[in-house]
Amino acid sequence: MSRRSHYPTYNVWDQHEHWDPHTRQIVAQRRTPVISHSFLTRQEAMLVQTLAGVLTDEYRQEVLTFVTQHIDQSLNSPVGESQRKAGVPEKKVLYRLGLSGINEASHRLYRRDFIGLKQPEQEELLRRVEKGTVPETSAWQQVAPQDFFQKLLYDVVNAYYSHPLVWSDIGYGGPAYPRGYVRVEKGLVDPWEAKKDGE
Amino acid sequence: MENRDRVTHHTNHYQGRRSKSLDQRKYQDGADVCIVGAGAAGCVLAYELAKAGLKVVVIEAGPFWNPQTDFASDELATRRLAWEATRIVDGANPLRLGHNNSGRGVGGGTVHFTGVFLRFHESDFRTRSVDGVGEDWPIAYEDLAPYYDKIEREIAVSGPKHYPWGPFKGPYPYPVREPISANAQLFREACEKLGIESVVAPLAILSAPFDGRPPCINRGFCNQGCMPNAKYSGLIQHIPKAIEHGAEVLSDCMVTQVLTDGSRVTGVLFDHDGATYEQKARVVILAGFVIETPRLLLHSSTPHFPDGLANSSGWVGKAIMPHSSHDVYGLLPEEVRLYKGTPVLALTQHFYETDKRRGFARGYTLHAHGARPVGMASEIATQRADGQFLWGRQLREAMLDYNYYARITLVGEVLPNPDNCVTLADEKDEYGMPLAKVTFQYGENDRRLIEHAVVQMTQLVEAMGGKAAHVVADTAHLMGGCRMGSDPVQSVVDSYGRCHDIPNLYIAGASIFVTSGGANPTNTVMALAARTAEHLIQEMSRQNI
Repeated sequence: MSRRSHYPTYNVWDQHEHWDPHTRQIVAQRRTPVISHSFLTRQEAMLVQTLAGVLTDEYRQEVLTFVTQHIDQSLNSPVGESQRKAGVPEKKVLYRLGLSGINEASHRLYRRDFIGLKQPEQEELLRRVEKGTVPETSAWQQVAPQDFFQKLLYDVVNAYYSHPLVWSDIGYGGPAYPRGYVRVEKGLVDPWEAKKDGE
Repeated sequence: MENRDRVTHHTNHYQGRRSKSLDQRKYQDGADVCIVGAGAAGCVLAYELAKAGLKVVVIEAGPFWNPQTDFASDELATRRLAWEATRIVDGANPLRLGHNNSGRGVGGGTVHFTGVFLRFHESDFRTRSVDGVGEDWPIAYEDLAPYYDKIEREIAVSGPKHYPWGPFKGPYPYPVREPISANAQLFREACEKLGIESVVAPLAILSAPFDGRPPCINRGFCNQGCMPNAKYSGLIQHIPKAIEHGAEVLSDCMVTQVLTDGSRVTGVLFDHDGATYEQKARVVILAGFVIETPRLLLHSSTPHFPDGLANSSGWVGKAIMPHSSHDVYGLLPEEVRLYKGTPVLALTQHFYETDKRRGFARGYTLHAHGARPVGMASEIATQRADGQFLWGRQLREAMLDYNYYARITLVGEVLPNPDNCVTLADEKDEYGMPLAKVTFQYGENDRRLIEHAVVQMTQLVEAMGGKAAHVVADTAHLMGGCRMGSDPVQSVVDSYGRCHDIPNLYIAGASIFVTSGGANPTNTVMALAARTAEHLIQEMSRQNI
C-alpha cells in the first residue's frame, strides 16, 4: 500500500476543456462547494465534516466541505435510498440519531464533543461505533451503531472519491468524452493521462 | 420543425407526436397494447408491436433521457439512471438495489448496463432434469435460438468469430472488439497460463458504424450511460423506431394500478405530476422488472383476485434470484488503469456447466471487469466479503494504488428458492402504494459456487503476477418473481408471458425467468420479448385476445 500519491504533479482538472459541458459543470461545482445546509444544523454539519475527515484520512477542507454538502443534499432529497434494511430507520432519522450518538458517546468517554477530540481519540471512538461496542447512550438504543456507520461510510466514500483533487491523487484519468481513450492496452497511456512521479 | 437528428430526435417526441397535455393523448380512447415499463423487454415489444400496426402505448415511470444533456462522465451524478425509490431489504443476505441492478427512465437498465451480451446454454433450461436442482423451463434453448439470432443481428452485437461454450459457436454479426484493455489482456494471459479458455466478450457495443451510430471510443463509462451512442440501449434504438411506427411513450408516468373487469384487465391507472389518469387497452404487458411487477400485481388485488392479480398459484413475487457477483481486486506490480476502455472486454465460461467434483451444481461466468474510483472505493470500504470495513489511512493508502489493481468479477448462478421473495411492506410511498419488501438469502449450493469462484479468481490474479488484495461480496442482476411454467398451480405465466389467470395480461422481462443461469441476462430478456411479440401479433390478428 502506498503512503503517497504516485502522481504528485498530475491535476485532472487541467483537462476540463476537453470534457463535455454537462460533466464539466458537475465537476466544477464540486470544486467550489457552498457552505450552507438545508437539512443538517450547523453543529451537525461540522460533525459530519469532522467524521468525513477521519473516515478518509483527509485534512483538505475544500474536499471535506464538498462531502458534507453532498450528504446534506442527499438528506434533503425526495429521491429514495434505493434500499433500506428492515428495522433500520429512514435515512434522515438514522443520521440525526447517529450524529447525536457520536457526541453522546464522546461525552461519556472523553467529556467533550467529538470535534474537540484528538485524532487518535476520534479514531478509537469511530472504531467502537464500527464494532458496535460504543457506550449504549440514548441514541444508540434507538439505532444500531453499525447501521449508522455503514451508511455514513458509504455516503462519505461516494462523495470523497468524486472530488477532482482525489482523482488527481490516485491518477484517475476521469471524464473522457468526447475524446475517449486511444491507448488502452498494457503499458500504454494517452499523452494527457497521469504519469508516474511526473515522468 | 421535426428534429431529424439521429441522436436527439427522440427527445423531441412531444413535437407533433405527443401533446404535452396528458388529456390529449394519442390513444386516449384505448390502445391495442399498453406496456408498463420501457426497459430491455418493453422497448423490444413496443417496436415489434408498433411495426405490426398495433396501437401501442408505453408508460414509463422515469424520464425520457437525452444522452447528451442528461448523461455525464461521472459516477455520482448518474446514479439517477437507476430505480432509487426505497425498498425494504431483508433476509440473511439483504440485496443492494438501485444502480446495482435496475433502471429508471426510457431504456431502463439498458441505459447503464455493461453491454455483455450472452446466450443461456441448453442446460440452463433443464436444470431439474440435468442436475436435479432448480426447475425446468417450459421451453428449450432451441425455442429461443431464432430470437437470439434476430436480436443479435438487430442490434449488431460484436463478438468473436468462434465462441467456445454452449450451443452457439459464432460468428457474431459484428467484428470482435479490438483493441482490448490492459485488464482484459492480463485476464486472458492468466487464463492461458492456467489452461482456461477465454474470449473477447460478445457485446451490445458497436465495433464499427451501424444504423447511423459510431463505434465505441473506449471512454469506459458504460454504467453511467453511453454518450457517443455506441452502446445499445432501448432509448436510442427500439424506442425511437417504435415512435416512428406510431407508438406513444408516456414518460414520467408511474403506473399505480392494473384495472380489471371481472376476469380480464381493461387498462391501468397512472400518476403524472400528482394527477391520476387512466389508459385503456385490449392487452396490458407488465415489463417493470423483478420487483415492481410483483408489487403492482399484489397491490392491484380485487374481490375477484383477493391475493393480487395473476396470483392464484401464490407464485407472484416468489423465487427471485440475483447473480452472485463477488469481485476480486488483485494488486499488481505494474499499472493496469481499470478506468480505461469498455468495462468488460474479456470473459470465460470455462466453469459454466455442472462438474460434480466441485461439490455444487451449475456454474458461472468470470469477467475481466473495469472499475471506477467511486465504485471501487465504496465496495472495498463497505462490502468486503470478510465483513470488515475499510476506512481512514487504510482506505486512503489502498486507493492510492488505484491504478495498480486488476479486477475479476463473478456472474454466478443462484438457485431459485420461494423464500426469496417480493412482498408488500406496511410503509407507503408518495403514490400511496406499499413499498416493496425484498427478502433474500443464499442457499448452500450458491455459497459453495461462490467459494469455488473466489478461489479461481484468486488464482487468476496470482497468474497475473499479483496478489488478491480485496474480495468484495456483491450481487448483480435480478430474475424471477413471476416465473413461467406449463402448470398454472406452480407458475404465474406461460412461456409467452401470458398470465394463466388473466388471458389479456402479459408479463415480460427477467421476472418470468425460471432459473438465473450463470450469464448476464439481457440477451435472454430481449429474445423472450421478441418471442412474446411474435405470439401476440398472431393472437391479436386472429382476434384470439
